[in-house]
Amino acid sequence: MEKPYLVLEEELEEVEEKEKITKNIISWIFKNIKFLILPGSRIEELAARQFEYEKNVSKRSLLRRLKNPLTILGFAVIFLIATLAIYAPWLSPQSYADAMLVHSGSWNPPSPEYPLGKTAMGGDVLSRLIWGARTSLTISLPSITLSVTGGVLFGIIAAYFGGWVDSLIMRICDIMLAFPSLILSLTLIFVFGGSIEIILLVWGFLGIPIYARLIRGNVLQARQLPYIEAARVSGAGSWRIMFRHILPNVIQPIIVFFTFDIGAYILGLAGLSFLGVNQSIMIEWGNDINVARANPYEAPWAGLWPGFMIFLTVLGFMLVGDGIRDALDPRLKNL
Amino acid sequence: MSLLKYIIRRIIVMIPVLLGVLTITFILSRMMPGDPITARLAAAGLHSPSEELIHQLRCQLGLCDPIIIQYFRYMGDLFTGNWGVSVSIVRNQPVWDLVITRLPITIDLTIFSIIIASFLGTKAGVISAVHRNKTPDTIVRGIALVGVALPVFFLGMLLQYTLGYQLGWFEPVGFLSAEYEGPATITGFIYIDALISGEWYYISDYIWHMFLPVFCLSFLMLASITRQTRSSMLEVMEQDFVRTARAKGCKEKTVIHSHALKNALIPTVTVIGLSIAGLLSGAVLTETTFGLNGMGSLFIDAILQTDYWVITAVVFLVTIIFITANLITDVLYAILDPRIRYN
Repeated sequence: MEKPYLVLEEELEEVEEKEKITKNIISWIFKNIKFLILPGSRIEELAARQFEYEKNVSKRSLLRRLKNPLTILGFAVIFLIATLAIYAPWLSPQSYADAMLVHSGSWNPPSPEYPLGKTAMGGDVLSRLIWGARTSLTISLPSITLSVTGGVLFGIIAAYFGGWVDSLIMRICDIMLAFPSLILSLTLIFVFGGSIEIILLVWGFLGIPIYARLIRGNVLQARQLPYIEAARVSGAGSWRIMFRHILPNVIQPIIVFFTFDIGAYILGLAGLSFLGVNQSIMIEWGNDINVARANPYEAPWAGLWPGFMIFLTVLGFMLVGDGIRDALDPRLKNL
Repeated sequence: MSLLKYIIRRIIVMIPVLLGVLTITFILSRMMPGDPITARLAAAGLHSPSEELIHQLRCQLGLCDPIIIQYFRYMGDLFTGNWGVSVSIVRNQPVWDLVITRLPITIDLTIFSIIIASFLGTKAGVISAVHRNKTPDTIVRGIALVGVALPVFFLGMLLQYTLGYQLGWFEPVGFLSAEYEGPATITGFIYIDALISGEWYYISDYIWHMFLPVFCLSFLMLASITRQTRSSMLEVMEQDFVRTARAKGCKEKTVIHSHALKNALIPTVTVIGLSIAGLLSGAVLTETTFGLNGMGSLFIDAILQTDYWVITAVVFLVTIIFITANLITDVLYAILDPRIRYN
């Protein structure tokens, strides 16, 4: 009595299952009708899975590693300073020539018209801050580029050729590094005059030995590796090996130092103008602090803001330098 | 190779570098746009001197001769201990006497800063490494970051304004109070002179004045020392011998200070050596900020008045200090880490 009932049930299940499958197929077709009709569209499920996969892959990529709060803060600061430098003519209340001139109202305190007060010459502190960003970046960026390029060139040549070329370049570097940099650059700038071009060249020139020494050490290690031998065996010339094979493999520390040292260059430049090399030729933050020293207690705003701007800019570049170093070489993260 | 041999070899290597430095300084000082004779005559009240007078004075000082002869004469004089005579800063004062009165301030400033910065920097680095990623670590790292980015002269001005002017805790300028003349000059170093002559109050006065400059200058170095100590401490703390020390029951304090720190100090010494160059540049800026009459202000005066002999002497001396400091660092390095073969 029981058996037919059971058979009936099994048959029923079979029928249900068949219906389920057809239902599933139909619903799948309806769900993915876009995929079936439109060429180039994707199944959502698969797309989501692929998205998940790509997210994991890009977690390992450089850009994602740069996403830490301090580095982003650094980038924001650099962006701000760069904006001030590039759009200075629109942002600054006074034009460059105007901010250089002598006005009435020496050491005036902050007022609605001049929100950050006035300097000894009656110049607007705010305008001078904005134009100072331009001066700082115009001098420090090209000069560090010059230093790094020169350093890479001489460092690679010295390490690659070795022998007397190496000792000659390194002895010259030794002599240049034996001077404290501020004193040598001060002397050079006094000899050649304190214009922007001269300061830029002097700073760029004095940075060369530091990078040359750094890169030489890296190249000396890289030179021993098998791929250099392979390149030589396959007939590559010296210059090709140096700049196509060695350089890309030692570029990492160069990038890190480049970003990190922009801040140091801006600091050095500010120190130099603080000592009064270019008193009246340009608007520069260090220069403004030097002038403000004449009356530090009654008019603190004249020196406070330029100093804060130097601090902010240097901090921005150092944070980004730190971030890039961590991103390129996570082993160094503890530094 | 013994340590002594190493030191001697390093000193021999220094000689060509110093000769190069002297030559470059000589050439640069002669290329300066100004003229010491005119500056001196202007200081004496003679603003439009006749050509003849200038020529006569130039020949008296030996500036008429060809530059090569001047160069060799100067080098010869140097080896016999004659540093020349100041022309325009202090008339006819031997350069050596001028320099020797200024040198102690700069040396005090740098040496005190190095000592304080190394002491505090290693302490802060250890604290930061032990409390990794906790509040003390964040604070220390924040301060270190600010220390790297803050210009030393701006920090000086801030301290002068707040602690010196607003609160009145410290004297903002100078190195001795105005009413004091200073102890009798024996060595030139004020505290040593005061100790010898028994005028103790000079020492406290001197410390009171030098506190802010030394603080500023050491802050410059503090950051890099802290960062380096922290990173090498973190590295060392994960090594086997530290675990062994803990396993055999050493106190945590002993593990950190005598096992880990000793090994972590080696890279720190290198960083101290490397930051001495920055420290000398910083000393020039600090002296200017706080109105201390050291080598830095002497150098700037000499450049402004084109005093050839003073410029050369100052650059030469500062370079010698710098190179010697580097040598000391290398020797310390070799003592701390005997594994290093000195080549």
